[in-house]
Amino acid sequence: MPEPAPPRFSIKPYLKKTKLWKSIFRHDFTDSPRTRLQRVFGNVFLHLHPVRVPKDALRIPYTWGLGGLSFYLFLVLTVTGILLMFYYRPASSLAYQDMKDLSFAVTLGRLLRNMHRWAAHLMVVAVILHMVRVFLTGAYKPPREYNWVIGVLLLVMTLFLSYTGYLLPWDQLALWAVTVGAQMAANSPLLGNEGPFRLPFITTANDARFVLIGGTVIGDATLIRFYVLHCVAVPFIFAIFLSVHFWRVRKDSFSKQTGDKVDVWPHLVSRELLAALLMTVILFVWSILMNAPLEGVANLNVTPNPSKAPWYFVGLQELLVYFDPWIAGVVLPTLIVVGLMAIPYVDLNPQGVGRWPKIGWKRLGPIAMPSPKERAFAVNVFMLGTIMWFVLIFIGAYDRGPNWEWYWPWETWSHRRMTKLTLKNIPNLWGLLLLASYFALGSPIPKRIKAWLAARGGAKAPAAASAALHTGLGLAIAGAVLIPLLISPDPAYPNGSRYPTLLEALGRSQNAPIVHGMFRVVQTLGPLMGYVVNAGLIVLAGLTLAWLGVQFGRFKDRRYEELGPIKYAIVMGLLLMMMGVLGKIGLRLLFGIKYILSFPGVNLNI
Amino acid sequence: MNGTGTTQAPAERPPAKMDLWRRLDERLGRRQFLLKAGWACFWAFLGGWLLSNLRYLFPNVLYEPTLTFKAGQPDEYPLGVSTKWKKTNRVWIIREPAGFYAFWARCTHLGCTPNWFDAEQRFKCPCHGSNFNTEGDVIAGPAPKPLWRCAIRLADDGQILIDKARLENRPDARRKGDFFLPYHSA
Repeated sequence: MPEPAPPRFSIKPYLKKTKLWKSIFRHDFTDSPRTRLQRVFGNVFLHLHPVRVPKDALRIPYTWGLGGLSFYLFLVLTVTGILLMFYYRPASSLAYQDMKDLSFAVTLGRLLRNMHRWAAHLMVVAVILHMVRVFLTGAYKPPREYNWVIGVLLLVMTLFLSYTGYLLPWDQLALWAVTVGAQMAANSPLLGNEGPFRLPFITTANDARFVLIGGTVIGDATLIRFYVLHCVAVPFIFAIFLSVHFWRVRKDSFSKQTGDKVDVWPHLVSRELLAALLMTVILFVWSILMNAPLEGVANLNVTPNPSKAPWYFVGLQELLVYFDPWIAGVVLPTLIVVGLMAIPYVDLNPQGVGRWPKIGWKRLGPIAMPSPKERAFAVNVFMLGTIMWFVLIFIGAYDRGPNWEWYWPWETWSHRRMTKLTLKNIPNLWGLLLLASYFALGSPIPKRIKAWLAARGGAKAPAAASAALHTGLGLAIAGAVLIPLLISPDPAYPNGSRYPTLLEALGRSQNAPIVHGMFRVVQTLGPLMGYVVNAGLIVLAGLTLAWLGVQFGRFKDRRYEELGPIKYAIVMGLLLMMMGVLGKIGLRLLFGIKYILSFPGVNLNI
Repeated sequence: MNGTGTTQAPAERPPAKMDLWRRLDERLGRRQFLLKAGWACFWAFLGGWLLSNLRYLFPNVLYEPTLTFKAGQPDEYPLGVSTKWKKTNRVWIIREPAGFYAFWARCTHLGCTPNWFDAEQRFKCPCHGSNFNTEGDVIAGPAPKPLWRCAIRLADDGQILIDKARLENRPDARRKGDFFLPYHSA
């Protein structure tokens, strides 16, 4: 037996024996099944993970790591934000100067600012995509309903953080985005000075806008408020909700439960590290190649033309073109948030948890449409809403030019282009008929009434009643839009009217394609024949709506029996309002209609 | 039908008055009462304190620029819309043959500053596309009401004095009183 070589002196075993080392690290780091577990539950930062997870939950194409990336970007934003705070002073006379200093005088200042801005954009994208992923894989279904609600709140806070951060550079972009955002608060019902149903004691010096901006005009008070909200208050609340969110992911378990269980260290932790590294590379390259925008110093009196919000709010800005501010700025965002939160409580379908939907073909009358094989209604409605939101963003970002007029992406902007815009209101009574018939489209025919109808009028009576109901409503909707165009005089010229009807007023403006078409029909065919043809078109439009209604009639009735009256009313109400937004945009762009209902005395316009 | 069931004798009930007092005593004995009262005080204090902090967020003193300014002599204005004060005071002064009026250059939709387009005789807002005519009435876009007019009068030194704190836009009131400065007085 040869003598074993005397051990070479090495510092590590020596260190590991010291009291200091042992006080910090409670276990050794050799790769054994035991240490793999110890690394996770013996570490405060890693212990929010479970120690073992199902293998399939780790597959990248299942989650794309979007939740983790959102959190990583939040960390990046915290670090870069803290560094930026060392040079930034929140006062209107200093802030813009400090931004210039950060861009040109401070070593690495520009890079940090770019990273902060682009990481914020990436975080908004990541959070939205994370929500879409969770929805599509059914990961909000029991027992994870509550965590979905927390997630929606985190999305809202992400957007609010973006909004408050937007003012801090104190440039023109910042000021006017915040002016518009704050003015929406002044249009909130009850508590806004310019909103509908304003409470009697509300003035411009105590309404919702006043408390948001800390005064009646945007100034130093606003800047310090937004600074505190952005740097301290909202991140503080955000972190609390974030902990609850993570904790519930851990407690409610992952939505994907197939495959053998594997150790989180190294299988999940390594993927997280890789994702973070990849994101870091993207962020660095983007921040080196592209500077965060900084316009001229804020001027409270002059608005840039056009003045566009950051992309994630430009959809809202576009929505504000079609609706009064209290609807587009207060009611619709609230409904979107509340509607999102309500999803897990009104979606009783247990299918589709832990997998992406598969797309098949489905017939709708004569048309074949791609549609998910399971959860078709939920997925279609959610995706329609999401896509609508991004279409609005696209329109605002690429189809709007000076004076917020419509320019196709290939058209050149001109500040001298003549505006041809003409808009008219539907008279209130017709508008009321339109709204009432539209929302009545959502009413089902419950089983009891069907049975009663069948008993009274034979087996075909329920179908006939449904057809009659929908035809009536379809004709009422089409009529309420089009008949006032033909018979109402132009209200802008009440006496000795310049144009005898709204049709003529709108038809001449060339800005309402459908009304313009109808006007041309009257011009070419003469009044009598023209009005007959137009009336025919109205009936045709109504019948098309009626046909759609009948198609969905049986579907509605089935839903009603499944959900019961309250959940059905919530689902159908939200669905009709979402489609109604689309309808109102159509009325505006195709018919040149501004308001369906208008009560200017109480600031109530729809 | 098995015949085993017996008729239960009704439990003896104390008189209704007694019953109420005893039930109250059982339900809300001295200890329970003190406990509930204690918690009620706690929540009332916490709620009151939070509400008073809401009030804290409404400042009592504002440090904001003045809303009145002098806009020079009436003779300096030719007929039409003057954009001279837009950049500094956010006001347009309009002179017509009969006299002067002044608009607050703030869109009634969401508060952006519109621009004046002389060739079209329109004010157009860059934020959401509202258009106003020289009377301030909305002729296109989402704005819900006409432009606000500022109080306008002559100061002692003969200059036009504009007061943005007093605003009017109702068609029957906006062309008289403090909101219209007839030319003969200028």
